[in-house]
Amino acid sequence: MTKIWKPVNYIIAILLYLAFFYFVLTTLKINLDFEVYYEYRNLIFKGWLRTIQVSAIGVTLSLVVGLILYFMSQAKSIPILPILAEIHKTVIFSTPLIVLAIVAYYFIGTAFGVDSRMIIGILTLGLYIGAYIADIYKGAVESIHINQWQTAKMFGFSKYQTYRYVIFPQVLKSILPPLAGQFALTIKGSALLSLIGLNELLNEINVVQAISYKSIEGFILLSIGYWIITIPLIMAVRYFEEQLHVRVVK
Amino acid sequence: MDLKLKNLDKYYDKKILDNINLELNDIGVLALIGPSGSGKSTLLRLIAGLEDFENGSIELNGFNLEKNKLDEFRKEVGFVFQDHNLFSHLTILQNICLVLEKVHKRDPKEAKKEVEVLLDQFGLIEHKDKFPHQISGGQSQRVSIVRALAIKPKIILLDEPTSSLDPVLTYEVLVAIEKLIDQKKNVIIVTHEIGFAREIADYILYLEDGKIVEHGNKDMFKNPQTYELKGFLQKVLTFNAAD
Repeated sequence: MTKIWKPVNYIIAILLYLAFFYFVLTTLKINLDFEVYYEYRNLIFKGWLRTIQVSAIGVTLSLVVGLILYFMSQAKSIPILPILAEIHKTVIFSTPLIVLAIVAYYFIGTAFGVDSRMIIGILTLGLYIGAYIADIYKGAVESIHINQWQTAKMFGFSKYQTYRYVIFPQVLKSILPPLAGQFALTIKGSALLSLIGLNELLNEINVVQAISYKSIEGFILLSIGYWIITIPLIMAVRYFEEQLHVRVVK
Repeated sequence: MDLKLKNLDKYYDKKILDNINLELNDIGVLALIGPSGSGKSTLLRLIAGLEDFENGSIELNGFNLEKNKLDEFRKEVGFVFQDHNLFSHLTILQNICLVLEKVHKRDPKEAKKEVEVLLDQFGLIEHKDKFPHQISGGQSQRVSIVRALAIKPKIILLDEPTSSLDPVLTYEVLVAIEKLIDQKKNVIIVTHEIGFAREIADYILYLEDGKIVEHGNKDMFKNPQTYELKGFLQKVLTFNAAD
């Protein structure tokens, strides 16, 4: 019975959501006209692909940066590494992404002779989200019971083997939900890179908005563009999480 | 098994083990008994190389824990924890095979075959594909014993393996430990099961307040020499009589 009603409830909930926006549009008497956007569809599509590209590489990089920062914070034998990791995280946590992107492109990039918006954009996203992901790793690893570490130690597992075969598989399940959130943030955060002139989705939509003076249509397309990426991603992570749960419970 | 403990001290917030000195040669089964908080589990964990100690030295079968590499030592010592400590994301079979494959570099197929034989011996074969939370506490502890045995250790250390089990499950685990001893394994066991210790142990250490108060063979249960052991046995026997 519940199985039958679940999709129906979903459809009703989505319709309610759409009705809300329909009410807003009709109250403001806005007639949507996507003609100019259709003309520039190739430009918008390229921007959308660029957003996927930047986000995908940014997400991958942030996973690696997060891992490096996590291991740096655990490197008690080299005391400077935990301090460096802490400074990086504090700077990131206390600075808006938009400020970092501008500083990274106009100052750091220029100082190092790097003028590729793409490279600077990806690095900024990776270093920014990586700081948050480092804390996700930390929380998940700390949630593993001490007896799992002790057992691995007692049976002679090396540190690498302990992480690889004992800790990481158990951590994976608990990091997936917060990681899904961070991935979505990375994708949405890529929009801020339009401010350094990266030709991603927001930037291209801005171009068409400037030509057509049709801004609402632009924002609708922009939202849909992000939804197409983020919603399947979140659903995929949830599916993966459920599969892991099933494997453990089976 | 030969065990040499010299001037051994261990501190947490306070002194847990106080100047432990002992030299034993050619002992098969050593039991550590004493009231809770006496330091017996800590002593076992030090002997296992699981924790560092402040002063003194430990030598097990000629292996000095401070001077030598613990990695090699651990390959020859099996350990059964108080709460079984099975890896929760792996099946029973995987729990044991993982250690053999990754640490002992054994061929996966051969390891699996050997482990299945052991699981069969210990009445666990039908549970091999289950996860730890799907079996009882007694079964988990028996798996833990099989895991310790599977690495073909020279010595097996058991830290209060029945402390969290009800009497029926305790019996299951004690039978499994007897099987270990039947296989001529050297064993050091920390236990509250005084009757069991009396039955299996070749030598017994009685600890109280971080000190070895009395030690000797089974006769010490009949003729305790110290006031402390007399008091401890009296309490245990009183409870047994009350049961």
